[in-house]
Amino acid sequence: MANELIRVEHLKKYFKVPAGTNHAVDDVSFTIARGETLGVVGESGCGKSTLGRTIIHLLESTDGKIFLNDKDITHVNKAELKALREKMQIVFQDPYSSLNPRLRIENTVIEPLKMSGRFHSKAELKAEANKLMELVGIDERLREAYPHELDGGRRQRVCIARALALNPEFIVCDEPVSALDVSIQAAVLNLLQELQQKMGMAYMFVTHDLSVVKHISDNICVMYLGQLVEKAPTKELFAHTLHPYTKALLSAIPSTDIHHPMQRIRLKGEITSPINPKPGCRFAARCPYATEACQQPQKLEEVSAGHFVSCCRIHEIGE
Amino acid sequence: MSDFLKVKDLEVIYTQAGRTVHAVNGVSLEVRKGHTLGLVGETGAGKTTIAKAILRILPDPPAKIKRGEILLDGEDLLKKPESEMLQVRGGKIAMIFQDPMTALNPLMTVGDQILEVLTLHNDYDIKTGMKKAGEMLETVGIPAERYGEYPHQFSGGMKQRVVIAMALACNPELLLADEPTTALDVTIQAQVLDLINELKEKFQTSMILITHDLGVIAQTCENVAVIYAGSIVESGTREDIFDHPTHPYTIGLFESLPNMTAEGEKLKPIAGMPPDPTDLPEGCAFAPRCPYATEECRRRKPEMKELSPGHLCACFNRNEPGTLKGGA
Repeated sequence: MANELIRVEHLKKYFKVPAGTNHAVDDVSFTIARGETLGVVGESGCGKSTLGRTIIHLLESTDGKIFLNDKDITHVNKAELKALREKMQIVFQDPYSSLNPRLRIENTVIEPLKMSGRFHSKAELKAEANKLMELVGIDERLREAYPHELDGGRRQRVCIARALALNPEFIVCDEPVSALDVSIQAAVLNLLQELQQKMGMAYMFVTHDLSVVKHISDNICVMYLGQLVEKAPTKELFAHTLHPYTKALLSAIPSTDIHHPMQRIRLKGEITSPINPKPGCRFAARCPYATEACQQPQKLEEVSAGHFVSCCRIHEIGE
Repeated sequence: MSDFLKVKDLEVIYTQAGRTVHAVNGVSLEVRKGHTLGLVGETGAGKTTIAKAILRILPDPPAKIKRGEILLDGEDLLKKPESEMLQVRGGKIAMIFQDPMTALNPLMTVGDQILEVLTLHNDYDIKTGMKKAGEMLETVGIPAERYGEYPHQFSGGMKQRVVIAMALACNPELLLADEPTTALDVTIQAQVLDLINELKEKFQTSMILITHDLGVIAQTCENVAVIYAGSIVESGTREDIFDHPTHPYTIGLFESLPNMTAEGEKLKPIAGMPPDPTDLPEGCAFAPRCPYATEECRRRKPEMKELSPGHLCACFNRNEPGTLKGGA
C-alpha cells in the first residue's frame, strides 16, 4: 500500500507473571493508512491498550515487526526513539493522572516543544503553545492554570494539545473519552475528527465502546484475549458481522431504542485468563457455536474484500 | 396509585471549607411497587446523594439533609430514630454500589459477607444462615461451593453478583442500584442487567436504578427521571422520555450520544459545562447552556409542570411533549 503509514506484522507482547506467561498481544498484524482511523475494540484485559503502547514503544515488543513509513522500527536506539516520539504520540484514558499536577498547562504543552529543539526562544515556545491551545479550544485565561483547576473535558484537550505539539503522523488514542460524561465526550470526539481533517494524522482509537468506535473509525479490529478475531471496514463490519464474539459484543450494547429490544446473545461465563492460553480459538469456552474443530488454532482469513475473520465455523453460522 | 416510595422536596447540602455545595435542590420522586425508576444524569448531578439520603448514610458533616420527606409506605424515614434505621438498611431497603471492588470486605469470605446481612435481620442459627447464603450465591449464578472464597478470587462481574446477592439476601422491598454495571464490560453488563431484571420480577422488588447510560435505562426501567445540577428537569414513563424528550437538557443528552444506527453524522455536544454547585445560577440551572434560554429562565427557576398525564418537565419554553424520536 503506497499510502501505508503503520504496518504491524505478527506482533507479540508477553509478560512474565508468577503463574506463567501472559500473552497480552499474541500474533497481531494490520496496517494503518495515512490519515486513517483504525478502531481497536475489545473488553478489559483483551490487550488493546498493550497493543497501542507496544507500537509506539512505550513497551518493548516480544516478537514480530513494526514498520513506520516502510521503515523497520521494531528495535531502535535512544536517539532513534527520540526522533520516533515526534512522529508517534499517545492520548491516555485518564486525563486526571496523565498530566503533571505541578505544571501549569501551558508548560505541559511547551515541554515537548522544548524537547524537540526546534524553537529557540521563550517567546517562540509560548507563541507555538498558544497556537496549539487555541487549536484544541482552551481559553486564553486558562493557560496559566494547573490541571486540578480544569474539568475532565478540558484536561483531555490539554492532553491532545500536548500530543499534537510536534505534528505527529500517528496518535494512539487510548480510551480518550471513556472517563468523560456523554455531553463532554461528544465535544472531544468532534475535536479529534476536526483535527484529523485539518492535519491529516492517523489515529489508532482504542476503546471498549462500540458506538464510539463506529462513529470515529474507518476500519475496525475486534480483539479477544490478545488476538484479532475480526477486522473490516467499519460499514462492512456492522452490515455483515461474522465472528460470534463481535456479534455478542454488538448485541450486548443496551440500545436506546425502546420499541425494538435487541435480541441478546447471552455469553456464558467471563473472559478467560490470558496466562498460558491453550492453542485453538480463545473464545471457544464462551462461544455458543463452539465445536471440536474450534480446539484447533484459528487463522485470520479474508472472507470478502478487506473483511478478515478468525473463525472456522462462520460458513455454518452465517450472518 | 400505590406509590411505595415517595420523596418530597428533598434538599441536601454539603459544607466544604466554608462553602456550601447545593447537591440536591428540592427533588421529588415516586416509585411504584414492583416498578423501576431510572435516575439519569451526569457526574455531580446529585444522583448518588439522593440514594444515600434515602438510606440515611450520608456522612454528617459535611452532608446535611436540609428539608424534605422520604416516605416509605407512608412512614417518613427522616423522622425514624437511628436504631430503627438499622433495621431498614439491608432489610427493607438495600443498596448496590457502583464499584464492586471496594464494596466488599477483602478479609471476609463472600459467603460470610452474605451471612452477616442475613443474621443481622433474621433469627437464623449459623447453619440455616450459611445454607441460605449459599442459596443466594446460587440465585445470582455462583456455585455455592465458592462460599469460602475471598473477593480477590472473583472477577469484577462475579464480585458485582456477590454484591447483588448481599443486597437481595433479605428480600428488600426497595433496591437502590447505583451504577451497578458501570464498572463492568458490556457482555458482563448484559448478564448482570438480565439478572437484576429476573430477580426483580421474581421478588417483586421496587428499584431506583441510577446511571448515566440511557441505553441501560431503556432496557430496564418503567419510569425515568432526568436530573441536572441537583434538580429533576423531566420525568415520566420510559415512553415519555425516549419518544417525547422535551426538556432541552434531555434532548441534548440524546443528541450527544454516538448513534449505532445513523451514519457518521457529526455529534451535537451540549455547549458549556454543568454549573458550579457552590454557585448555582439564580434561574434555571441549565439556562447558561440552553439554546432556548430567555431572560425569564435566567431570573426564575421553572417549576415542574405536567405536559401529559405523568409526563413532567421543568421548562418555561416547553409546553408540549417533544417529538424527537429517541436517539435521532
